[in-house]
Amino acid sequence: MGRVGKARANILGSQWFLLLLVVIIISCVTGAINPRFFRVNNIVNIFEQISTLGVVASGATILIISGNFDISVGANIGLSSCVMAMLMKANVPYAQAIAAGLAVSLACALFVGTNSILFKAPSFIISLATTGVFKGIALFMTQATLQTIYGKFEGLGSTRFFGVLPLIFLLSLAVYAAMGFLLGRTRLGRRVYAIGSNERAAFLSGIGINANKLAFFAINGLLVGIAATMLLSRIGAAQPSTGAGIELQAIGAVVIGGTPMTGGKGRIVGTFFGVLLMGVISNALNMLQVSPYFQDVTFGLLIILSVAVSALSQKRGRSGRVGSI
Amino acid sequence: MKAQDRVLGVEGITKSYGAQRPALSGVSFELRSGEALCVVGENGAGKSTLIKILSGAVEPDLGSVILGGRSRPSLKPREAMALGIATIYQDVELIESLTVADNIFLGAERGALAGLVVDSPAQEEAARGYLELLHIDIEASALVESLSAAQKQNLQIVKALHQDARILIMDEPTSSLGYEEKRSLMALVKDLKTRGIAIIYISHYLEEVFEIGDTILILKDGERVGIWPRAEVDVDFVIRSMVGRDASLFFAREKVVIGEVAVEVRGMRWSGVVEDVGFELRRGEIFGIGGLVGSGRSELAGLIYGMFRREAGELRIDGRSATPRDPADAIRKGVRLITEDRKKYAMFGIRGVAENVAVAHNEFSGGPVLDLRGEARLTAGLIEKLHIAVSSQAQAIDSLSGGNQQKAVIARWMLEDAELYIFDEPTKGVDVGAKQEIYRLMVDLARRGKCVIMISSDMPELLSMSDRIAVMRAGRMVRIVDNKGIDEQYLIKEFIGM
Repeated sequence: MGRVGKARANILGSQWFLLLLVVIIISCVTGAINPRFFRVNNIVNIFEQISTLGVVASGATILIISGNFDISVGANIGLSSCVMAMLMKANVPYAQAIAAGLAVSLACALFVGTNSILFKAPSFIISLATTGVFKGIALFMTQATLQTIYGKFEGLGSTRFFGVLPLIFLLSLAVYAAMGFLLGRTRLGRRVYAIGSNERAAFLSGIGINANKLAFFAINGLLVGIAATMLLSRIGAAQPSTGAGIELQAIGAVVIGGTPMTGGKGRIVGTFFGVLLMGVISNALNMLQVSPYFQDVTFGLLIILSVAVSALSQKRGRSGRVGSI
Repeated sequence: MKAQDRVLGVEGITKSYGAQRPALSGVSFELRSGEALCVVGENGAGKSTLIKILSGAVEPDLGSVILGGRSRPSLKPREAMALGIATIYQDVELIESLTVADNIFLGAERGALAGLVVDSPAQEEAARGYLELLHIDIEASALVESLSAAQKQNLQIVKALHQDARILIMDEPTSSLGYEEKRSLMALVKDLKTRGIAIIYISHYLEEVFEIGDTILILKDGERVGIWPRAEVDVDFVIRSMVGRDASLFFAREKVVIGEVAVEVRGMRWSGVVEDVGFELRRGEIFGIGGLVGSGRSELAGLIYGMFRREAGELRIDGRSATPRDPADAIRKGVRLITEDRKKYAMFGIRGVAENVAVAHNEFSGGPVLDLRGEARLTAGLIEKLHIAVSSQAQAIDSLSGGNQQKAVIARWMLEDAELYIFDEPTKGVDVGAKQEIYRLMVDLARRGKCVIMISSDMPELLSMSDRIAVMRAGRMVRIVDNKGIDEQYLIKEFIGM
């Protein structure tokens, strides 16, 4: 196969290209049935809606490639957004409140990572446990009441450049770009892939396993903190259940984007399109007036479908073609 | 049943794993009831593959097993058991938390109350009968976890006999037994023979082979050298037949100048695995380490490289302490390890060749942001130098052939200079061409004044590459000899301690 042919095969075989096609098809179908779908306002709306998920999913991508999970990110967002909201209510300056929120998210993620490393336990199980811990602390702090910040700190969530470009969407793009750079161009990124694909070989090649794993959890924690900040500004209120369920959407988006749950490979561009697809489907279902209860069913089936697609393409890859991801 | 009844026939069994020389090729033999057939051969002669085929774990490519009056191209584990073949493994297949009697009757419990509960007293009574019959001193109601290794082995034999086994396969049954236990196992085996049980006995210990064997089957490089009645052969003949290869298998290496002592290994200890091993290496020297599998060779390499925790021991390079805390520290101090099992310990299977080759380089030189172009250039240089056949630098290393995988793994350590290179089975599962290239590379390191340790189970390799050869046996380095005037026979005797 010539160079051009090979490049074409790579693009056609990439999960992100497939996802882009699906996004376009769904958009066209929805737009044909309900022309309001293509209104600028709706499209901007989609971008705003997927911003937070995108930031969380970027962190999840790094963790999953490295062979780890943090499913307590939803509870983490709940706790840190409540902390920020309570501080803002008490008239603490925004910068300090945000710094506190980021610190809480970072600490929570490090707590998950440390326990997982210390007790050689799968981070999936540890984070299942910490979900309850973080949620319980948030409930105690707020006494289970909604923390409304009444018109404060709206700038981040409501700014739209030229009336069409949401600030938080740009922020999420910056996060994608930073994580893409980290994974593709830095030593730390190589460690993510190395540890995820063969931890023992990484250790014998001179890569410190524990310190690096902690770093991956820390990066995830910071991104979760950023997501919590974005969410608080957009909603204008926080409660312990803020962010609940976002962990599964994020892991789903990562998997849909072609990163296998077994780790060792995957790309941020896949996650971007995974998140976009979930946002478009969610919006399309609204536009088509499908019961919101069915959205969960749809996402669940979508994740199964994408796992099936990657399982089939791996089978094909083993019998000849080498994966491009 | 007459003593001369044939209970098993093996005809032309051949099995290859991948593209290399077959693990077994065209092996045939017969086994009669009451006969003890001893199978001997070096590491990698094909003994394990033979056991796996007879126990149904592996399907042969060619040939057949004649069992129960029928010729069968392959066996399933269940079939093998149903047809009376039982394999006695060490320390497995018993349930520790159950009693001796429960284990014997496992899966075929004697019931009471219409089969709703297990009739333990009846089982223990029957078990006691079996144990007494075979003169085995174990209490039927004891828990298996309280038994010694030898008792567990005896129990497995009893269990097999209870399941009507007519053929027992025993793989290195005495390797973890003390002297007394060995004696009683020998006695048990002899007793079983008088009861018409046929035995396939695999052991490195030739004195056992000559004590209990009726016939001796010798394998070498997957082929049958011959099968003889015990009375017709002696120990020397057996040893000679196990080794003795064609001159073409030896590599004529270039000799290089040997310099000063540069590496000192002192008192490396990991109790029960490596016992106080020490030696010195000179610049330009290739130091071969031989021994049976399980003699502690790879573990010694792991200790030197900081991969395992030492109880004691020191490494000195050029007179300075270079004892590593962990592999990263070992790399910084100039030690490199090419591990035996590349898939498990070296390869990032689904990642590309460039990432695999450059992993240590990226870790120890340059900054936090990678120089991707530099990485591609270095990788290209090594791909060319070592003739690694790849379609692109991004090709997953999993998809390469064994030889190319091994060269890519070795290439990882060629980007930065070091002082001590440890190669553990460097040419395992590698084709002839790649083998020669790996040998040349090792000689090249020696010529540049590096110290090379080469652990190998391949006798021709050990004899053609090493300046000196060390022999390890049961965790000890029992001998270090100059590689002059010694041959395969000498080495195999040292390995098994004859």
